Amino acid sequence: MTAVWHAIVVALALFGAAFFLAGTLGLLRLPDFYTRAHAVSKCDTVGAGSILLALALYVAPQPEALKILLLLLLVLLSSPTSCHALAHAAHHTGLEPREPRAGEPS
Amino acid sequence: MSALFDLVMLALLLGMALAVARTRDLLAAAILFSGYSLVMCLLWLHRGAPDVAMTEAAVGAGVTTILFLLAIGRTGRRER
Amino acid sequence: MRRLLTALALAIVGAVMLAGLAGLPRPGDPAAPVHTHVAAHIVAHGVEDTGSRNLVTAVLLAYRAYDTFGEVVVIFAALAAVMVVLAPAAAPPPGKTAPPPSPAPAVAPSPVVGFVIRLLAPFIAAFAALVLWHGEALPGGGFQAGVILGALLVLLSVVMGRGLEQPLVPAAAARWLQAAGPLAFAAAMLIGLAGAGAVLGLPAEPAWGRHAVLLLLELGIGLGGAAIILGLYLQMRGH
Repeated sequence: MTAVWHAIVVALALFGAAFFLAGTLGLLRLPDFYTRAHAVSKCDTVGAGSILLALALYVAPQPEALKILLLLLLVLLSSPTSCHALAHAAHHTGLEPREPRAGEPS
Repeated sequence: MSALFDLVMLALLLGMALAVARTRDLLAAAILFSGYSLVMCLLWLHRGAPDVAMTEAAVGAGVTTILFLLAIGRTGRRER
Repeated sequence: MRRLLTALALAIVGAVMLAGLAGLPRPGDPAAPVHTHVAAHIVAHGVEDTGSRNLVTAVLLAYRAYDTFGEVVVIFAALAAVMVVLAPAAAPPPGKTAPPPSPAPAVAPSPVVGFVIRLLAPFIAAFAALVLWHGEALPGGGFQAGVILGALLVLLSVVMGRGLEQPLVPAAAARWLQAAGPLAFAAAMLIGLAGAGAVLGLPAEPAWGRHAVLLLLELGIGLGGAAIILGLYLQMRGH
């Protein structure tokens, strides 16, 4: 039983770490502000979310799990909001998304 | 493990401090300085000073960044 | 040549500082002087001396109250300096003409951000109140609560676009709130003189008196700190 439990925890943590890796790669490689913000917000919400969920399951019977779930709720609220605020400000100050160059798949 | 955490954080801190000192873009410097404060906050927490960490997060990463941004808005973005 | 001199000066200063560091006791060394005299006394007598279960609070507000008083005056002076430097060049006489309405901000705040901030604000305020109230027993206290509350007020001002022209509290009340820290210390000094015969002394009787003085200081530092942070923000943003 504990083995299955731990396997779930490890799988969730690895999933989150993979999302962080993908988000960081996106931040470094994607061409313009909007696509980079998109990549980073994915790793903030899904990556940090699943790692926090893994931690909550890891300490599950103890009340600390509830605290971690509250943290998860806070992250789910705050990180998309900050990303939205950035994108909103960029859009309203007139930052144009990068147009695909000729011959590039759009 | 604990020493490794400290080392990684201190290396990050040093890198950010050098970046803040070297960049000519004041907006980037303000954002980097906010990141510096967040790393510093984690270090305070790790050193067993949660009250200092709270202050660092609220003042260092929050309020001073906004004050820096306001000051940049009133003057100019490039360092001359 | 100049670069060489700079590098030389930095190397000399760095060497002196490293030599000084080498003379310090190891961090956490139980035989260090600070742990054998001062800290030992505070750990042994702090609770009965000050009535505060959090020894950090005991040190900040009782044993080292003068230092804390200095810090409070410093942040108050910072706000005063910003107000003097950023004061409008030719302020209209009070009550004569209303200032022109400020231009709309360049980017209207997004309703999503406003909703989330309004959703989170009561929790942040409750956390600040907990940190202030429980600073006596848990990590935290007036400064921490003040900066959390101040950051919340700044956040709300940014999102709601409130400025100097729509103050949260009347200007006269805001002045008193901004001076709350030094005022609380002044009151504590008078209480100390009357009750304990020493400036900033804690009265021995009644037992709740010490708690009341500490709470007064925490409240003054917290509310004053928050008002000063908000004042700095509003003053720097201008009209």
